[in-house]
Amino acid sequence: MTIAPTISTARLTLRQPEAGDFPAYAGYCASDRARFVGGPFDAVKAFEKLAAMAGHWVLRGFGRYIIEHKGAPVGHVGPLALESGQDPEMTWTLWNETSEGKGIAKEASAAVLDHLLQDAQWAGLISRVDAQNTPSRRLAESLGATLTDEAAPSWMPTAVTYRFLKVGV
Amino acid sequence: MMRYEVPQLETERLILRGHRESDIAAEKAFFATDASQFVGGPIPPHRAWRTVAMMMGHWALRGFGFWALEEKATGAYVGRAGLWFPDGWLEKEIGWTLMNDATGKGYATEAALAARTHAHDVLGWETAISQIDPKNDASKAVAARLGARFEKHFEDPEYGQIEIWRHPAPADLVNGGMEAYA
Repeated sequence: MTIAPTISTARLTLRQPEAGDFPAYAGYCASDRARFVGGPFDAVKAFEKLAAMAGHWVLRGFGRYIIEHKGAPVGHVGPLALESGQDPEMTWTLWNETSEGKGIAKEASAAVLDHLLQDAQWAGLISRVDAQNTPSRRLAESLGATLTDEAAPSWMPTAVTYRFLKVGV
Repeated sequence: MMRYEVPQLETERLILRGHRESDIAAEKAFFATDASQFVGGPIPPHRAWRTVAMMMGHWALRGFGFWALEEKATGAYVGRAGLWFPDGWLEKEIGWTLMNDATGKGYATEAALAARTHAHDVLGWETAISQIDPKNDASKAVAARLGARFEKHFEDPEYGQIEIWRHPAPADLVNGGMEAYA
């Protein structure tokens, strides 16, 4: 089935990236918060990354959503499928610490996982999380992911791998 | 789906269109070779995929970008050319890159001319540059055929020293038009 370009939750709108997201996204990329994903990144890299996020939708028919809270973009969430021959990877990121502690990442991730694993009947997704990134690991576990013993990929040597499976299998 | 459209352009021998997944195999092969050294390569296959995704996303974010070049005679993907201006970029740029077996036929000039005409006529660009590696003689020859002129050197934090070539403004092309450079 077609993957929804927009998902609404109680407090959030999840939608595709657009040009107006750039300032907030670049702010995140330049901050220490990007350290778990290879950053910080300058504005040129940030633009390339946001463009790649948009282009992923074009090429794959699915991709990561921008999380909109009270009318402002505060993060991104959703599946990523690079050419690894593996299940798509579920990701979630809040761009600013002021968005933390409100359950936003969980609300957004749960809605996307519902859509992919129930509506669209995807077989499964993985998530790679830096072993030291405790809040993100807790979130994965609270979303129902199970920790696997998969080896970390060369480009993210300190990662652990979680797996989400289709509901009811 | 993403709200974006890539207008299709046509030249004598090429169709300029949006990229597709099926174009990426050629890009991965290209990015594995030293010929990609002037455009940030060589890079592994997964980063080549991301580069193409980024090019598509540039359309979504800016309303212009790189076109995939399809050879009319064969339907083959032969490279890309287009308009580039990510955040933090020096100036609006016209760029071209051909796959290894498509060089030497004038395709880059043909495609870049169509891209520049689109920039002038549709987007209203008044000026544009091309950034070229000083060692990339083939690309400098394309710039010269397009009527662009070397302007200055620039020290790019990522690519090192590059040459800035300046394209003629629309007004410069009125008398004699593009044929003057063909």
